[in-house]
Amino acid sequence: MTTYIIRRLLLMIPTFFGITILVFSILQMVPGGPYEQELLRIRSQMMLTGEGGGGGGDMAMVEIPEEAKVRLKEFYGLNYPAPVRYLIWLGVWPKEIDNHEVAFELGATESIFKLKKTESLLVRAEDEEFAVYNMDGTAADKWHARLLSYDDVTGAPNVKIYKRRLRGILLGNLGVSYKYAEPVWTLIKERIHISAYFGLISFFLSYLVCIPLGIAKALRHGSKFDTISSVIVFVGYSTPGWILGALLLVYFGGGSFWDVFPLGEFRSEYFEYMNFFEKIVDQLHHTILPVIAYMVAAFATLTVLMKNSLLENLSQDYVRTAFAKGLSEKRVVFFHTVRNSLIPIATGIGGLLGVWLAGSYLIEKVFNIQGIGLLSYMAVINRDYPIVMGFMVIGTVIRLLGNLTSDMCYAAIDPRIRFK
Amino acid sequence: MSRKTTSQSIMEKRWRKFKTMKRGYYSLWLLVSLYIISFLLPLLINNKPLMLKYEGELFFPVFQYHAGEKFGQVVHGEARYRDLQVTFREAGEGNWMLMPLYPYHPNESLLSELPSEPPTEPNGTHFLGTDNRGRDVFARLLYGFNITLSFALVVALFAYTIGISIGAILGFFGGKVDIIGQRFIEIFSAIPFLYTMIIISSIIQPNFFLLTLVMTCFGWMGMTYYIRGEFYREKARDYVSAAVSMGANNRRVMFRHIMPNALTPVITFMPFAVIAYIGTLVGLDFLGFGLAPPTPSWGELVNQGVADIRYWWLVVSPMAASFCTLLMITFIGEAIREAFDPKVYSRLR
Repeated sequence: MTTYIIRRLLLMIPTFFGITILVFSILQMVPGGPYEQELLRIRSQMMLTGEGGGGGGDMAMVEIPEEAKVRLKEFYGLNYPAPVRYLIWLGVWPKEIDNHEVAFELGATESIFKLKKTESLLVRAEDEEFAVYNMDGTAADKWHARLLSYDDVTGAPNVKIYKRRLRGILLGNLGVSYKYAEPVWTLIKERIHISAYFGLISFFLSYLVCIPLGIAKALRHGSKFDTISSVIVFVGYSTPGWILGALLLVYFGGGSFWDVFPLGEFRSEYFEYMNFFEKIVDQLHHTILPVIAYMVAAFATLTVLMKNSLLENLSQDYVRTAFAKGLSEKRVVFFHTVRNSLIPIATGIGGLLGVWLAGSYLIEKVFNIQGIGLLSYMAVINRDYPIVMGFMVIGTVIRLLGNLTSDMCYAAIDPRIRFK
Repeated sequence: MSRKTTSQSIMEKRWRKFKTMKRGYYSLWLLVSLYIISFLLPLLINNKPLMLKYEGELFFPVFQYHAGEKFGQVVHGEARYRDLQVTFREAGEGNWMLMPLYPYHPNESLLSELPSEPPTEPNGTHFLGTDNRGRDVFARLLYGFNITLSFALVVALFAYTIGISIGAILGFFGGKVDIIGQRFIEIFSAIPFLYTMIIISSIIQPNFFLLTLVMTCFGWMGMTYYIRGEFYREKARDYVSAAVSMGANNRRVMFRHIMPNALTPVITFMPFAVIAYIGTLVGLDFLGFGLAPPTPSWGELVNQGVADIRYWWLVVSPMAASFCTLLMITFIGEAIREAFDPKVYSRLR
């Protein structure tokens, strides 16, 4: 078993790199990335204000100053070639941090940059290169300098000074969002409790409903109860959760029908000012509709799985033996068979890992819940690459580990299963 | 009289069992007939008459474009047949036309005819009301049925072909091919589908074929696992050794001998895959990254309805349509699964 787990874990390494390289290159290759979009935005803004000599006409005529382009490229890290960018993102190639711009007077060979109130740095032009010194003349070896551009008007050089540090995914750093200008981790942390709240509630509720229902259906296989509940199960299966959510909103959200439930969102606007009791009511009030929408997806599959699994076990020989021993039906069913029938259900436990990030963007969009799903969806729309890549990494790791956990649950519950 | 004794093939047995499953059997017939009828929708739901007689001459505007001036109408472009019908009737000069059963086109904006600003509520003329551009919801739903189902079926067909072939290769050859192939599949299935779709639709407006292509590229992975497993199991059987010893080559063993025995999971999963593809298309349309407007689509209607929940018919009707379609497919799928399942559950005691 240990060998098996180690081998599985080792196999994950090439998969992880394969996935990240593939997605990273797709993001870099496709047109319309964040840099192009930002250029487009600036261009249209300049056109509106009539700057840039375009004469308020053609978009293509508007010229963005070279300096601004260089700065944008620096911001998106495009000054490095794509493979290096991947290495920086991974965290095996140093990233430029603490970036500052130092302006030079025309013809000057030195410029003083005030870092803090008490601390300044001296940037000196040496041939074509630039070097950074402390004010006492010793070399500031943590700092590096690089020519950014020449000023459009005066022609004087603009120099960028920076420190170099490893900052990447392998060091647990997901980067900083372009749009929110905050670390991706912070953004996730701010929202994870919302998605996890709905995820966990619907996860446990669906197991609580589906397992007893599946057992009841199997024990009464072919009866009227079985047929009717089957139809209900199929009805559930034929209903996409998010459309059901939309439908519930239409009926209970106070449109043309009943105004029973709020129009989505996680909590009320004035949640902070409520007393304890009101808080509970408000939270429940906002919980019911989304949880129904979340549950409908798992409801059908889980129930049918439980029922079939129990049916199969009930026709096994060991059940005959148990009955022959004179055990009561209750004991046979609940002590012997149900336990064995839970094996296929147990594979779903691996999915529990994923529940934390399970926020379905469709359901979160319908109910306007500011959770993980909506964050990743909006990141895709806004081309917020750090968030997109971050989610991709988290999702991949969770899925790979989840699969392994499922397999191990299998082996733990069923003594016949041995992985080699 | 000779009494015919026939042995039943396994497929015949399954079909007979399928027929006993009333829910699934009738759903199959209903769905197939509805789908076939939906190809004739331009003759049933359209704003152009099937036949038109004007000054002794017969026209068939459903199939041919006619300018409005031809019929004495003062309009730009194509004739407005519903107005023309009223004119004909009032004039009573022996001109007549045969309109389709429901004389509205799904992409036709009815702004000038509506009593109030669209969307308007369902009424006698527009069974399910109109959407925010004044288009008839009923017509859009039915045309959407054809498009959605065609999409799902085409994707299922292609995705299955690819998935079965690759799964068969992995399972049949095993070893290194299998390990490397599985890693590739794992990597490939990690590409975020939604992301790719959004990127593609920001570059070009996705049409039906592009969307099926992309969906196929992302939809074949699931099937490989099942087929791979089946091939692993089947290739150890005696009949495979027999075929190999008779000199059959790999391709023949794979496709003639093993494949028919390995197809059971494929067939039983097919209806549920179709359901998943329909769900994906509706979801994409809802987000606005599906088929290019003005293609009639269910998801786009839901989107309008969610934007302002007072317009309940924009959510309720596509929901009902998708629900009925998916329910029929679920029933079919359940019946197929049952028919293919050799197990008879016997309760001991």
